[in-house]
Amino acid sequence: MREYLLESPLTPEFLAFLAVFGTVREFPHLKRPFFSFEQEDFISIKGFTGDTTVEVRYRKEFADLTSDYFHLLLFYSREGEPGIRKMREIEESIREKMRMRMPR
Amino acid sequence: MAAGTVTSPLIYLNNAATTWPKPQEVLDEVARCLHTPFFEPGRSTTGTAVDYPAEAREALSVFFNAEKPDHFVFTQNATDSLNLLIHGFAKNQGAPFHAVTTELEHNSVLRPLHALEAQGALSLTTVPFRDSRVTLQGIREAIRPETRMVVMTHGSNVLGSLQHIRPIAEYCAANDIFLIVDGAQTAGQVPVNLSEIPAGAFVFTGHKALFGLPGIGCLYLQEPGAVAPTRQGGTGTDSRSLVHPQDMPVKFEAGTPNYPGIASLLAGIRYIERVGQDTILTKCRDLTGRFISGIDHPDIILYTPAPDLPVVSFNIRNLECDEAGYILAGAYNIITRTGLHCAPLVHDRIDGGKGCVRVSFSYLNTPEECHRAGEVVREVADGANR
Repeated sequence: MREYLLESPLTPEFLAFLAVFGTVREFPHLKRPFFSFEQEDFISIKGFTGDTTVEVRYRKEFADLTSDYFHLLLFYSREGEPGIRKMREIEESIREKMRMRMPR
Repeated sequence: MAAGTVTSPLIYLNNAATTWPKPQEVLDEVARCLHTPFFEPGRSTTGTAVDYPAEAREALSVFFNAEKPDHFVFTQNATDSLNLLIHGFAKNQGAPFHAVTTELEHNSVLRPLHALEAQGALSLTTVPFRDSRVTLQGIREAIRPETRMVVMTHGSNVLGSLQHIRPIAEYCAANDIFLIVDGAQTAGQVPVNLSEIPAGAFVFTGHKALFGLPGIGCLYLQEPGAVAPTRQGGTGTDSRSLVHPQDMPVKFEAGTPNYPGIASLLAGIRYIERVGQDTILTKCRDLTGRFISGIDHPDIILYTPAPDLPVVSFNIRNLECDEAGYILAGAYNIITRTGLHCAPLVHDRIDGGKGCVRVSFSYLNTPEECHRAGEVVREVADGANR
């Protein structure tokens, strides 16, 4: 688990970008509106909407493959559709390494 | 002030893991212990300091009504005590045997047993719980002619259920089966009278309801001959001999002990004796009852409707347990414990292995904290299900 202090809060656009790759859940009716993101085998993210701190967890078995994944998502989210395509390629490349590692 | 910064006062409800805060007299005793050179019998010539290990063993024997102060062995924590006993008993057996444990156990029991099973040192039967308890009948049905050891908890750290240990201890004693009782959740929380529980060993830790520091654990070993030591080293006695002494408690204590931890344990026991074990139990049950009444809500799934110990486990519909814990901490400054609580078999039964939120009280929590926590959990349940 890592806690990141960001320069600015995660934006609704970034959460929409995340939703392409996994499940985003938003809870706007809580005292501090909360969101979470889950991409199976890759990462999960938790945070409060408008906050600059987020908690990111990696699946232990694949942490060496996915530890930069959050940074990649942040970077490519700025590029729109080309960023989605690039992240898809990265995702598939990591998944292939995961498959090779899984017991047969 | 940054948006969303929490300004609420801290409400700490993770006391089944480690009690906080500690009574002032515990902090004072630790400070006193650190302000003078340690009294180390056989190791140093310090003449004025308190002999904390000896005083603590005497205090423990009175507190638990145990016959032999020297049979209290200091360890790092309950996990360390359980490893010492489980591996030491298996080593002493010298040949494979059958052991029995239960679904209620913490990994501090399950992992040493499974490690020994993987090595072929023992075969293991795990008894299921029913209505949050394991019965004597359940244990008896698991016993085989080659059963030599039973390891079970005195109180579940997830369900808060106190186990009726005395009949199980009597059965084991009558059948020459070594019983290890894990009292991590009960020592200091409920009265424990070891003269009425004929267990082979009783394990506990200092940092939970006994109000000591993390890093000090203990065990009471009724029959030291049943367990082989797994560590050797300096004891301050028989130093000419290259063979580790076999007298108690040094048979199982090698190296410099944790003097500040032992001082904290001693002060914690004195605090409990001053306040009164019954007073502590009554207040903790009152706090638990108040909280349970406070979280009556259609979107809260309660796993412990009437716990014996001040432990309440629940989930909030539509939230993962770690999400709920994150929200309680980040939005309300309420500290809970989420996940599997190192007791995976319990969670397999109650929540499909997904884990839950656990709140646990100590004598030093207040009714106001309880009321506020209940109110907040309901508020989160409302907000997550709108």
